[in-house]
Amino acid sequence: MLLKNKNAIITGSNRGIGKAILTEFAKQGANIWAVARKQDNAFIDFTKELASEYEVNVNPLFFDMTDYDAMKKAVMDIRKEKRPVDILVNNAGIVKHTVFQMTREEDLRNIFEVNFFSVFLFTQYITKLMMLNKSGSIINISSISANGYPTESAYGASKAAIITMTKSIAQELGSVGIRANCLAPGFIKTDMLEQLPNNIIEEYTNFTALKRTGLGADIAGAAVFLASELSSFISGQVIRVDGGLR
Amino acid sequence: MTTLEKYTQVFTDTFGITDEEAKNLKFQDIKAWDSVGHMGLISAIEEAFDIMMETDDIIDLSSFEKGKEILAKYDVEIK
Repeated sequence: MLLKNKNAIITGSNRGIGKAILTEFAKQGANIWAVARKQDNAFIDFTKELASEYEVNVNPLFFDMTDYDAMKKAVMDIRKEKRPVDILVNNAGIVKHTVFQMTREEDLRNIFEVNFFSVFLFTQYITKLMMLNKSGSIINISSISANGYPTESAYGASKAAIITMTKSIAQELGSVGIRANCLAPGFIKTDMLEQLPNNIIEEYTNFTALKRTGLGADIAGAAVFLASELSSFISGQVIRVDGGLR
Repeated sequence: MTTLEKYTQVFTDTFGITDEEAKNLKFQDIKAWDSVGHMGLISAIEEAFDIMMETDDIIDLSSFEKGKEILAKYDVEIK
């Protein structure tokens, strides 16, 4: 098991890529604080099943990432447990596809609030906990959209901001043993992908070397690698997990 | 342990200095208290007193003495 006895925080862990990462981390022996926005009994049951099956702790934490008071309280609760935070996976995010000249200011601000500002602040808080132990691995879920595609000027820009933040964190905190890297998923089968028109999904799938859309498990495998000691000399990097998209 | 002892210990443990050296210490007086060392100090203070400081206070905490004033804002009296 690659993450035996490691303690991880995963945001947006109740569905899609986050849920796949949660499952794989549990399988690899990590104890997890599983963050989700809304209280959800089915998700609580799911975390209990994971904990039982893989003999790890999986503690669901419910708060909205844009509610900064709730976020602070959650961080203080985590700190009170007196367990080192070894891994942070910033996965929570939203996607919205809009033509550049038809993007409302409200939507632009909302995308950045969820995808960037909240991640920035949460990472500030969690790195303070990591500094107590002088080690940690931060994995930020960016996107290939950071490279710029039609209808993704706002979403893509928020994911590009995540990449720059990650590289800066890697430079600033490397000396205290904290690594920071990004994963940039391509087309992954999630609720978010289903928001795209079918012809676009098909078109982009044809541009991948592997001729398929990705699975949550494909991202989870890369996340385990970045969380584990296997990647101990890797920091400030962006790993595309896109099936070889041209 | 008094709050002053606890507060002083945070400095001595974080920077590897003596109690006497801690008392008049200011930001960047020693190599260990650089910007990264500062965040290590803040993390340790927050943990010791179970608080979370506002960013402005983190920036303003520029000396051992100033830290006492700032902690008072979080209902932590150093004495």
